[in-house]
Amino acid sequence: MAGDLAIIGYAQSPSWRAAELTEPQFLFPVITEAIERAGIGRREIGFTCAGSCDYLSGQTFSFVMNLEAVGAWPPISESHVEMDGAWALYEAWVRLQHGDIDTALVFGSGKSSPGVPAEIFPLQMDPYTLTPLGVDPVSLAALQARAMLDAGKITEREMAEVVARSRKSAIGNPYAQVTGDADPDALLAEPYFTAPLRRHDLPPISDGASAVVLATAEKAKDVCEHPVWIRGIDHRVEVHQPGMRDLTTSVSTRIAGEKAGVGTAAVDVAELSATFSHQEKILREALGLGDDVDVNPSGGALAANPVMAVGLSRIVEAARQIAEHGKQRAVAHATSGQCLQQNLVAVLEGA
Amino acid sequence: MSDPNQDVVDPDAPVVGMDYFMSLHFEERICPVVRRYADALLEGKLIGHRCPKCALVYAPPRGYCPIDVIETTDADEVQLADRGFVTNYTVVTPVAYYGQEATEPFAKVSVQLDEPGGSLSLQDVLEIGVDDVRVGMRVEAVWVPAAERNVDEIGNRSWGSAEGCILGWRPTGEPDVPAEQISDKVF
Repeated sequence: MAGDLAIIGYAQSPSWRAAELTEPQFLFPVITEAIERAGIGRREIGFTCAGSCDYLSGQTFSFVMNLEAVGAWPPISESHVEMDGAWALYEAWVRLQHGDIDTALVFGSGKSSPGVPAEIFPLQMDPYTLTPLGVDPVSLAALQARAMLDAGKITEREMAEVVARSRKSAIGNPYAQVTGDADPDALLAEPYFTAPLRRHDLPPISDGASAVVLATAEKAKDVCEHPVWIRGIDHRVEVHQPGMRDLTTSVSTRIAGEKAGVGTAAVDVAELSATFSHQEKILREALGLGDDVDVNPSGGALAANPVMAVGLSRIVEAARQIAEHGKQRAVAHATSGQCLQQNLVAVLEGA
Repeated sequence: MSDPNQDVVDPDAPVVGMDYFMSLHFEERICPVVRRYADALLEGKLIGHRCPKCALVYAPPRGYCPIDVIETTDADEVQLADRGFVTNYTVVTPVAYYGQEATEPFAKVSVQLDEPGGSLSLQDVLEIGVDDVRVGMRVEAVWVPAAERNVDEIGNRSWGSAEGCILGWRPTGEPDVPAEQISDKVF
């Protein structure tokens, strides 16, 4: 086992409502910046892993074209997950544990703007009982929010407060898409989009990318003055059928958090993939984060939601909090599937 | 009174298949370099980007060279020849899947363009049968008349396409390019 790994480079693109550039075109500077920040040569990278989705792109093998932004000639060792880039990072983390290579490049990218999310996402559901119903993420999230309201676990005001805080936090974030001063009372006065969700409870539709360079401890100490250490990482998945679990809790997040060691010391900051406003409270509870924890200082997924990169961007933002804002211990969370079906938790620390 | 067994499936009945059609809609903005390429096609010109480092020519331009991993710009734009030779081809025998309109075998060829270079893939061949298509065959573009040209099918995803502006490629009758000269241009 190679032991603790470090993040030695990272970068993000802005989050666009509809990017003018192609996915490989906007990945290009992101990957270059992450590698330059890491202070290593492109050819030193031992393994590359990407996360993206052909259905979003509307093109088969779209991930092959994304490799054009990496520099894959002469041939490199690479892999791809049809998942958020956070899971690509997990694969790279596992790969580095073998100990025969010392660096890995990870990236996630997606363009949600060309397609219609409400058409595309039902296709990831059970093809017999759910896809034909056209169950889309917003409808399912609305059922989840309703279950929380009915159980007395949240109020619509609390949801509006999450939105207001996220948008305000995003004001200083150059990568965010939805920012601004929003008053919870004004938000609550808006009509429902899919009750009990209002439009602002939904994430924006975004195009974008992010990238991370990982290194073994030895390599990190060699090339990086202040590496950000990954002290723990774990992911868990729950049953696919949303009707077969309690949507008001997230057992998989809780277990992943325990395995990653979230509760073994104080947490300064957390970047959570709470794609819908009510999910932040589920995640805080599952991870045992108190009110003293600064949650989503970037604005989170409500401010920028480049699907397939948004989870990896949480890891980037958490690393940024340590490397650029003097925080010591951060938690990053990524999610996949419907209503927080699958969850990944990483614990990051400074020196 | 209804038969209580009417909903019980006969375990010996043959499995019945069912069609389930779906459609997805995508609308993508054309990126600036492809826009320029499409505008040039409408004027009857092929353009590409020549990498300032390795001198490889990309048609249509991509805005970068994936070999050297450097970005390319309008400054790297070159006008391309509309003549060249076939480097590779595939004869497609259509099967009757949903949406397939072709019924007879057809060829799609890759064309290596004359100087300054660049290649276009998935091009149609005109005036000859599929059995006469061969590697090394010299061809020239047959342009759609200017007034009838369109770039409706040119998008970020259609790298290599000139659909709507170039009808296809016809043999020029010149001697073939020997295969040993094109072994590094199989695509």
